[in-house]
Amino acid sequence: MFPENLYYTKDHEWAEISGNIAAVGITDYAQIALGEITFVELPAVNKQVGVHDILATAESSKAASDIYSPLTGQVTEVNNELSSKPELINQDCYKAGWICKIKISNPADKDKLMTVKEYEKYLGTL
Amino acid sequence: MIQFLTMADAKKTVLFEKHSALTGKSQIVSFAGWLMPLWFKSQAREHEAVRKTAGLFDCTHMAVLGIRGKTAQDFLNILTTNDVSLLKPGKAQYSYILNFEGDIIDDVIIYCFADDNYMMVANAANEQKVKDWINEISNLKFEISKDSSPHSTKQIEIKDLKNPSLPDARVDIAIQGPVSAECLKNIFGADFGGIKPFTFMQAKTRDFDPAPAPHSCHNSGLACMPIPILKNDKQIPAERIQSKCGVDVIISRTGYTGAKIGFELFVHPSKAVQLWDVILEKGKNLNVIPCGLASRDSLRIEAGLPLYGHELAGEFNISPFQAGYGWAVKLQKPDFIGKKALIKKAVDFKTEVARLEFDGVKGIRPIRQFDGILNKNGVCIGHILSCAGVGDKQIMLSLIEKQYNIVDNSVGVYYLARNQSHIQQGRREKVNIGDSLTADLAGKVIERFEKF
Repeated sequence: MFPENLYYTKDHEWAEISGNIAAVGITDYAQIALGEITFVELPAVNKQVGVHDILATAESSKAASDIYSPLTGQVTEVNNELSSKPELINQDCYKAGWICKIKISNPADKDKLMTVKEYEKYLGTL
Repeated sequence: MIQFLTMADAKKTVLFEKHSALTGKSQIVSFAGWLMPLWFKSQAREHEAVRKTAGLFDCTHMAVLGIRGKTAQDFLNILTTNDVSLLKPGKAQYSYILNFEGDIIDDVIIYCFADDNYMMVANAANEQKVKDWINEISNLKFEISKDSSPHSTKQIEIKDLKNPSLPDARVDIAIQGPVSAECLKNIFGADFGGIKPFTFMQAKTRDFDPAPAPHSCHNSGLACMPIPILKNDKQIPAERIQSKCGVDVIISRTGYTGAKIGFELFVHPSKAVQLWDVILEKGKNLNVIPCGLASRDSLRIEAGLPLYGHELAGEFNISPFQAGYGWAVKLQKPDFIGKKALIKKAVDFKTEVARLEFDGVKGIRPIRQFDGILNKNGVCIGHILSCAGVGDKQIMLSLIEKQYNIVDNSVGVYYLARNQSHIQQGRREKVNIGDSLTADLAGKVIERFEKF
C-alpha cells in the first residue's frame, strides 16, 4: 500500500534516501486527509534543517499543515512546480509531488525513521 | 504533519453509518460535538453540485425544539428578536435569541404550526446553551418592562424534538440546488417548487421503502399520494388524512447555501436513513450528491450567510445590525430580552460585515480567519471572519470599518503568521485596526449577499 523503498515519520512525511541525498514529501495518508492542496510554501535552497524543523507548509481549505524535516541537513533543491501546481501532491505524492531534497549531515537520523511495515502498523493505531 | 482532532467524546448522528460508508476516516471530524464528514468526494465538487444540480446535507445534528401552549407565541416573542405574531401556520422566520446585555446567544429559525405550536431549529454548537437559557427564562416570572404585567411561562411545554421516543420527533436533512424540487417530485409525486421561501408543508407520504407491501391504503398497486397537512396557511382537518401508512415529513423551503431553490426536510429520526437513501437513489440521474461540512461552509460564505461565532457574536461580539440582519430585530415589539441593549447597538456601531473577493486559489496562500484587511494606504481596517475558495477566487466575510464597505472598493489582506518560521521572519500573530502594514494580496469589496 505504501512504497517499500521509503522511510516514514509519525507526521506522515516520507524520505527516499540515495547516498547522502534524501528526497522528501508527504504520504498518501496525509494528502488524503488534507484534501485539495491549494498552496505550498517551499523552503529556501541552502536552508539548514534539523529533525522536526518546519521544512514546508501545505495548505488546503481544511488546514495549514506544517511539513517537518525527517533528517538533519541542508536543502539542496526544491520542487518549484508546486508553486503553480500544488495539486501535484494530491495527484502523485511520491513522485511528481516531491517537496525538496536534503543533503544529509547526520546519517544516524535514518535509524529513527520508520520502515514501511512500521508505518503501516502505526497507521493502524490512529 | 497534521494534528488530528480527538474525537473520543463526539456523538454520532443517525446518518453516521452512511457517512462512514461513503468517505474515509480522515474526513470525519468532530464538529460541535458530533462526528461529521468534511467532504465525500471533494469540497469543490460538492460546492459545484449545489450550484448546478443539488446536494444533500446531514443536518440531523442541529437542535430542534418544540414549543407548545397557550402562551407559546408570547414566550417566543419575549425570547427572540423577530415578531412571532407575524407567522401563520406553514410559515417560518429567521430570528435571534439574545441575553439581557443584547449579545447573541444563537440565531434560529422558528416554524409555526399553529399559534400555540412552534418548532425552533438552532445551531448544534449552541444546543445546550439555548436549552439552558430557555430553562432559565421559563423559570422566571419576570417583568420585562415597567408597563407590562409580569409574564408567566408556566403554560408552555418545551420539548427536545430530536428525542426519538417522541412520536413527533424531528431531525433535519437538507437538499439544496436547482434540481431539488424535481428530486422531491420523484420521491413524493408532488411538486414543491411552488412553495415560497420560508414556507413549509407537512405531508404524510407513502413509506420510503422502495417496494412497500400492498395494504388497504393502496388502490390496485398505486402508492399513497402525499397529503399536505398544511396547505395555503390552512390546516387540513386530521380526519381527512386517511392514510394508515406513511411517513410524516415537513418540507420547508429554507436552507443555508444561498441556493435559490432548496429544502429542509424534517422527519422522525428513525426515518432519516431511509430518507437519505431514497433522496440519493431518486436523485442519482439528476446528479444529486451528498455534501459535507466543507462545502456547506464555502456555499454559505459565497452566499454571504453568517455563522454563529464568526459573523455573529464571536471574537468581535458582532450584533445583528453589524451582520446586516437588522430586519430580523423588531424594535417596535413591546418588549423582548435584550431590547434595551439592542436599541443602543442599532445605532452605535463602527464596523460591519462586508463580503470581499480576492484572486485565485491555486498557488495563492489561502486567507484565513483573523487575517487583517487593509485599506489602500495599508492601514488595517478590520479582520477576516470566514473565507473559502470558490472557483478561482477566494470569497470571504470580514468585519471592517463601515465607511470602506462600498462595492468595488479596493482592499488588501495581511496574512497572519501561520507557524513559528513566519513569526521568526517578523510576521505578526495579531493585527489591530489602525496598524500600518503591507498588503500581501489585493482584492475588493463585493455585494453583501450573492444573488443566485
